[in-house]
Amino acid sequence: MMTDQEIEKRLEEIFAQNYELLKMEGGHALTEAGQKDALNQVLYYYRKLKEIATKVTDTEVKLTLPDQKTPEGRNFTIEGIVDIVREEDEVWMYDIKTHDPFYVMANKHLYEKQLNVYAYIWENLRGNPLDHTAVISTVIPDALKEAESIGDTARVQKELTKWEPVIEIPYNEDNVKDTVHDFALVVDNIEKHCFTPPPVKVLDEKIYGTNSKFATRICRNCDARFSCGSYREYATKLQKGGTMNFKKYYEDYGTDAEQEEFINASINLDKINITPELPQ
Amino acid sequence: MSYKKTTIEKLWKIKGFTPNDSQREAILHTDGPLFLTAGPGSGKTRVLLWRTLNLLVFHDVKPEEIFLSTFTEKASLQLKDGLRTLLGIVTNETGRPFDISKMSLGTVHSICQSLITDRRFSQGGSRKHAPILMDALSQYFKIYNKKFWEELWTAGGFKDEESAHNAITKYLVDKEINSRHVAVTECMGLFNRFSEEHINPDSIKTSDASLKALVKMYQHYINSLQINAYTKEVDFSLLQQDAFTTVESFPNSGKVFKHLIIDEYQDTNAIQEKLYFSLAKGSKNICVVGDDDQALYRFRGATVENLVEFENRCKQSLGVKPKRIDLDINYRSRKNIVDLYTHFIVQTDWKNPKKKGSHFRVHDKVIKAHSSDVKPSVVVSAKDKAENVYAEIAQFVMDLKPTGKIKDYNQCAFLFPSMKFRGAINTRVAGFQQAFEALGIPVYAPRAGSFVEVDEARAIFGLFLKIFDRPHYGNTGSQNLIKFRDWMIGCMRYADDLIKQDKLLKEYVEDRKNDVETALADYNMLLALVKKKKWNQKDPFKFAMIRDFAEVPKLSPKAKKNLTNSYFRKVIEIKERENKPYSIDYVINRTTSLDWTVLDLFYQLNGFRHFRDMYLLAEDGTDEGPICNLGLLSQYLSRFMDQYGTLLTASFMSEEKFVRVFFASYVYALYRLGESEYEDADDPFPKGRVPFLTIHQSKGLEFPVVVLGAVYKGEKPADKKEVIVRHLLNKEGEPLDRISHFDNMRMFYVGLSRAQNLLVLPRFTHAFAATDIFKDIFENYPLQTIADIDLKHLPVAEDAQQDLGKSYSYTSDYLLYNKCPRNYMIFKKYGFVPSRSQTMLFGSLVHQTIEDLHHLLIYERKNAAV
Repeated sequence: MMTDQEIEKRLEEIFAQNYELLKMEGGHALTEAGQKDALNQVLYYYRKLKEIATKVTDTEVKLTLPDQKTPEGRNFTIEGIVDIVREEDEVWMYDIKTHDPFYVMANKHLYEKQLNVYAYIWENLRGNPLDHTAVISTVIPDALKEAESIGDTARVQKELTKWEPVIEIPYNEDNVKDTVHDFALVVDNIEKHCFTPPPVKVLDEKIYGTNSKFATRICRNCDARFSCGSYREYATKLQKGGTMNFKKYYEDYGTDAEQEEFINASINLDKINITPELPQ
Repeated sequence: MSYKKTTIEKLWKIKGFTPNDSQREAILHTDGPLFLTAGPGSGKTRVLLWRTLNLLVFHDVKPEEIFLSTFTEKASLQLKDGLRTLLGIVTNETGRPFDISKMSLGTVHSICQSLITDRRFSQGGSRKHAPILMDALSQYFKIYNKKFWEELWTAGGFKDEESAHNAITKYLVDKEINSRHVAVTECMGLFNRFSEEHINPDSIKTSDASLKALVKMYQHYINSLQINAYTKEVDFSLLQQDAFTTVESFPNSGKVFKHLIIDEYQDTNAIQEKLYFSLAKGSKNICVVGDDDQALYRFRGATVENLVEFENRCKQSLGVKPKRIDLDINYRSRKNIVDLYTHFIVQTDWKNPKKKGSHFRVHDKVIKAHSSDVKPSVVVSAKDKAENVYAEIAQFVMDLKPTGKIKDYNQCAFLFPSMKFRGAINTRVAGFQQAFEALGIPVYAPRAGSFVEVDEARAIFGLFLKIFDRPHYGNTGSQNLIKFRDWMIGCMRYADDLIKQDKLLKEYVEDRKNDVETALADYNMLLALVKKKKWNQKDPFKFAMIRDFAEVPKLSPKAKKNLTNSYFRKVIEIKERENKPYSIDYVINRTTSLDWTVLDLFYQLNGFRHFRDMYLLAEDGTDEGPICNLGLLSQYLSRFMDQYGTLLTASFMSEEKFVRVFFASYVYALYRLGESEYEDADDPFPKGRVPFLTIHQSKGLEFPVVVLGAVYKGEKPADKKEVIVRHLLNKEGEPLDRISHFDNMRMFYVGLSRAQNLLVLPRFTHAFAATDIFKDIFENYPLQTIADIDLKHLPVAEDAQQDLGKSYSYTSDYLLYNKCPRNYMIFKKYGFVPSRSQTMLFGSLVHQTIEDLHHLLIYERKNAAV
């Protein structure tokens, strides 16, 4: 058997390969900070949820609900991916999310809709047994992240114990039909090129069950906010003071800690200290 | 579990599909090799879908036993979606579920990648390390790198760079050009061809000194890719070679797949042919689909002979002659269009003079139109000088829209043999573009000229230049450099205009310039401190130094804050305690780095009016052109950061380092590489614009109205790579002096056959007006003129979507859209690379790695159980 250390080392290799492949396929890249964050989520998933990880029987099971039709007559298929743990007496379906656990807790109804559709496919279309469904949130809590970044091992251990990434989702088949219908409407909108942002009123409201506004939680994490009509209106009109605080609106790189973390992860002296050549 | 029964006929009925005889025969064929010739618009995709379904549902072939390769990602996605939809119907009918995620369905590159790590091709079922793949641009940067290039030409035995450039270009393009760019591009092409022909550099025996040198360089290039015992890099060509070697070296590889289906077989290369025959050794079930008349990719090493001679080669390799079925009924175009291009293709002599009775073309197929609409559908302009032809055709397109025969300008495509001529925009492209500009109709021609010439790129790069200033290289005699400098100056002027119109933008640019200046000033002060204290930059940074640093007089408040905040102090303390201190150099860099990256800057600039308007146009689907270009720009910026680091530190910006790397090296390379590297067409094309594309880009597409922008293309001598390969491998093929002519015929054939309802041809009077064959057609073939055509009979264009049914992910489509439709559009639909925010890529990366972890743990558990 491989030791935990060996597994973690292997994970880092696999991670690097996956990143290269995905980058190639999608033509997208992550910043170094982003790569590091993603790797940490994987490593901490293993550290925290070894119990579950070692029992997974079917991984990344693709569930599809095919042959659906939108109100405007478009054909579509719904796809989702889950992990399954089959034990002798019970079967769990896990949906691994890179959403933070507070959000999941607060918006359980959304996850319920999703997992109910998945459960429906698993049980009814595929004829498999199922006892529990749960979301696993891989987002590392801030406190743990901080402990990790300053290398405080004792605190890392403490925060790791405190962390609760598994959130069980009640299983209820009733709202599958509504969810699929709502899904169909979204398909029509995507195909019709309807891409206007939510109105400024939504941005100013708190996200259900959380203490933060849409603008803070969603928009501030969106790089395209500067060019967004709704966010601009929110940032320049609805903020205190009334008049446009142009500089503040732009010079927004998150908290000091976030910025420090970004610099920490991004700094790469080898790349910076190159001697460029003149073009020929 | 038992499932209800169904039949394929019943499924056809549900989908409203009535196959014609040859389609039916092809779908139901299951045993032995199959040669499917598929003319334009002959329903090939449907046949492939139903044939695969037939194997899966009615012949119990498992998904993982099927190998189905396509030419583009888009085509494979379409097949995947279509197959899921059809299989969904089967599930509904019978209760039997299907999961095709394990099917080898994709482009040859993506399948090769998975073959290399596929446990089925390794002894003991262990998983191999995947090589790191370099795309064409990365490969170019690798070889172009001054240091590496020096290694290469040294390996080739050249005494200096100049003589290497001259000798290489003399040999490969028959002209001495002292340019690293040209030499590198040519070498890259030759190396790739060597790999695709599976040429072992050790075994090459030649007396030709130049070739010998190039082979040595190739050898060195290959050796350089092995990074360590486990990791190696591959380019696209070596990836295929690697997959072939994997397959060849495993004894049972011929039995892994029960069925191989290869689409677009006319555009496969030598190594792919080897790979396919090797995989089909056991089952002999290989089905190739294609149309030799539509072969377009010789310049990428494809050999149409793979298809033309498939019957013989299959007999030789597998010992069985394939069954041939012709999909020869065209469902795409009105009858006159089909008649014209079938007439066109036989206007040259395809006979093989060396081998009696044989042809360089599958000559005995007969393409027929399904449409019985014999009303005129091919029109020509008046025979006139170029400006008038451009104007007449542009006006005609404009007039089409109010008739309702086209709903959007994107239903009318302009196809050109090429968009550029020697780096500059092609005259015809420019002519038509101006004609449309005069009418106020926007065109979408992102590949016309160089990408860096498009408005969006000039605006962004111009503003970057205003902020960072441009690199200076003094007096130069190089025309290319002068042109590039002019481009930079042009961009800066453009930026000046934008700044003039937007007060806030002006303020913003000033602020960013100040950021740069402040960082540089801080940097110099800190360097002076280090010098004064006689420290070495490599020395460890001690906690006590924080004070020395922070108290440097005139240090900016920002740097002070960076040095004294509690987070920083804590980190330094811990690092020192753990005996892993940072170096002084590191702390200086960190203290004097900018808060923002080039990508941050890009997104912030996008917030100013000039760019904001572009987003608004896309949000309601009015015009997607500009935003497509902005998305591409974000990808280039991200690639730059990948290669040269994310952070902009003062040391990086000092002595013009950053601007040299960014502009003089990176952007300059993009500027010179131009369109040829990026052939993938965006489809559907942006709404509201007339798409201008190369005929190559139009492969596999169809448009209600097609205008062939030029009916002339010069013939060239045979490509030197082809000559070399034939000489080395003693190969035969199309006569070298006819290759270019044949290729041009096929290319125009593709262009002509894209049209559904109307095909428009220009008749120019002056030089390079038309090829001889087009001239002959204009004179002798019955065609109507634009002036005479009665639009009454023109059918109304249908929506482009071929509704095979698309798959939408619950999370990455539905939830993402619901969160914010605009965010979905930008990052998912147009592929912007985010700067700070988490992305789909982030999620996929985490998910995929966790999946691999699960596989690893499942495998470990199994081992432990044994």
